[in-house]
Amino acid sequence: MTPEAHQMIEHVVHLVRKPGLAIDENTALVSSGLIDSMALVDLLVKLEDLTHLRIPAGKVQPKDMDTVALMFATAERVGKPRK
Amino acid sequence: MSLRVLLYAGALLLGIGVFARVRSCRARQAFLLVVSYALYLTWGAWFLAVLLASTAINFLVGRWMRRKPSLTILWTGLAFNLVLLGFFKYLPGIAVSVPLASLQKFSHLALPLGISFWTFQAMSYLLDLYRGEELDPSFLEFGLYMAFFPVAISGPICRMPDMLPQFRSGQAPSRDDRGRGLSRIATGLLMMQVAQLLGKGILSGQGVNAGFDQISGWSGPDVWCLALGYGLQVFFDFAGYSHIAIGAARMMGFTVPENFARPFTSTTPSIFWTRWHMSLSFWIRDYVFLPLAMLRRQEWWRKFCLLVAMVLFGVWHRGTLLFVLFGCYHGVLLILHRQTQQAERKLNWQPTARAWTVWSWIVTMALVNLGWILFRAGSLSQAGEMFSALLLPTSYSRHAVSFSLYGLVLGLALAYAGALYAIDTLDAYAERTAAAPSRSEFIAVGLRDRWVWIAPLWTTACLLVLTLMPHQTHAANVFMYRFF
Repeated sequence: MTPEAHQMIEHVVHLVRKPGLAIDENTALVSSGLIDSMALVDLLVKLEDLTHLRIPAGKVQPKDMDTVALMFATAERVGKPRK
Repeated sequence: MSLRVLLYAGALLLGIGVFARVRSCRARQAFLLVVSYALYLTWGAWFLAVLLASTAINFLVGRWMRRKPSLTILWTGLAFNLVLLGFFKYLPGIAVSVPLASLQKFSHLALPLGISFWTFQAMSYLLDLYRGEELDPSFLEFGLYMAFFPVAISGPICRMPDMLPQFRSGQAPSRDDRGRGLSRIATGLLMMQVAQLLGKGILSGQGVNAGFDQISGWSGPDVWCLALGYGLQVFFDFAGYSHIAIGAARMMGFTVPENFARPFTSTTPSIFWTRWHMSLSFWIRDYVFLPLAMLRRQEWWRKFCLLVAMVLFGVWHRGTLLFVLFGCYHGVLLILHRQTQQAERKLNWQPTARAWTVWSWIVTMALVNLGWILFRAGSLSQAGEMFSALLLPTSYSRHAVSFSLYGLVLGLALAYAGALYAIDTLDAYAERTAAAPSRSEFIAVGLRDRWVWIAPLWTTACLLVLTLMPHQTHAANVFMYRFF
């Protein structure tokens, strides 16, 4: 796991706040209802910070953000260098 | 039973037969499209003409976008859909309220059935193409996507990436598909009858409809009873319809999105909106809220976007001030919930006690149900009068709504809770039975193929509800979401 993915998992744990719930790179976050719409925006912003990319939200669907692994794959696919 | 219901049932039975035997995708698609258009035609040739025009234009815009994806083409397509929706859905209302002679001719414009649903489907198709989804429907497939008869009238709102592979599949519906679909239809019929019962009441003129339309001088308890009663009525009606739509599609082997997931068990407003009219709330989340919220990083902007998204949710139903207020009300609830979450994080407070969950559920249900007053009230002054009654302590010593309605609302709420408990218990039992195969084969089959007994059980319950209901005109039996 990359350090960025590790940081993202820590951020997800901070947002979800469910003691005892194990979250890894492949835990379903959106489809399982763990993450709501506002938290999804938090995750997109965090993803931009961690990847140093601009992620056009118009090109991202919640299913693309369902797991931490998918988030980084999405960033790689649609992310653009920041100006 | 109306002719349209018989035609719908006939089309479904024919569809099940065709999908069981015919393997050619093209033949299946052509059959479904003809049946869908024929059923839509029963509502009026003019409605079908609007649907066909929208289908053709959106298909052409989609083709143009596939060749050269650009924001200009996307906005052209979206503008067309918004103008179409605005023309039929909002212009008549504007014509009534604005005293302009040139607008008066639009005041009686009929709303093509399901236009809000299939227009949103068309827009999601264009937005998905812009996002780079690999979608290449033929005109036949796109026409079917727009007119697919189980969902064309009142949803659930489908998405092309989910539907296209299913339109192209030559697979026959399994016995399980047919059984589960039948069970969903029976559940939906029962729920819609319960909604009718709530609307009319056990005693004639003493239902939720009369409580809103014929009574004035409500007391505090009356308003609570009507708010919960209407919440249950609209839920049973629309969730019931959705069950029928999902069940009908399933019987032909199609999976369409779910629309409700036990919304009355939600413990926060945020959870409620992931369980109520899900196909619309997810649409707004995916295509409006997220792209808008990511434009700026400030917290206030996100909250503003949440408010905009919820107002859109309200206005989608109807372009009146009450629906704008309904959206604002829920937007504010969601913002307050966000504030609470942030305060909990800041204080590092982790509410774990069961009592807190129960309290959170009570507060959420009270606030969500009060919101139905804005959704249902006939006018702003009526909504204001009802909210005033809530805040007036002296009004809690009397009642204007009949005791039979209080009993009905409470009884149905408890019966629904009991049904959910029974379903959960059965699920848990089925899991245990699967883990211990020594149990009786009879019980195992009963648990696995629940539709065998659920469909007749719900149908019997449905007939019982019918006998409880006072006879009223056909107008009182109309599905509520048909007008959206």
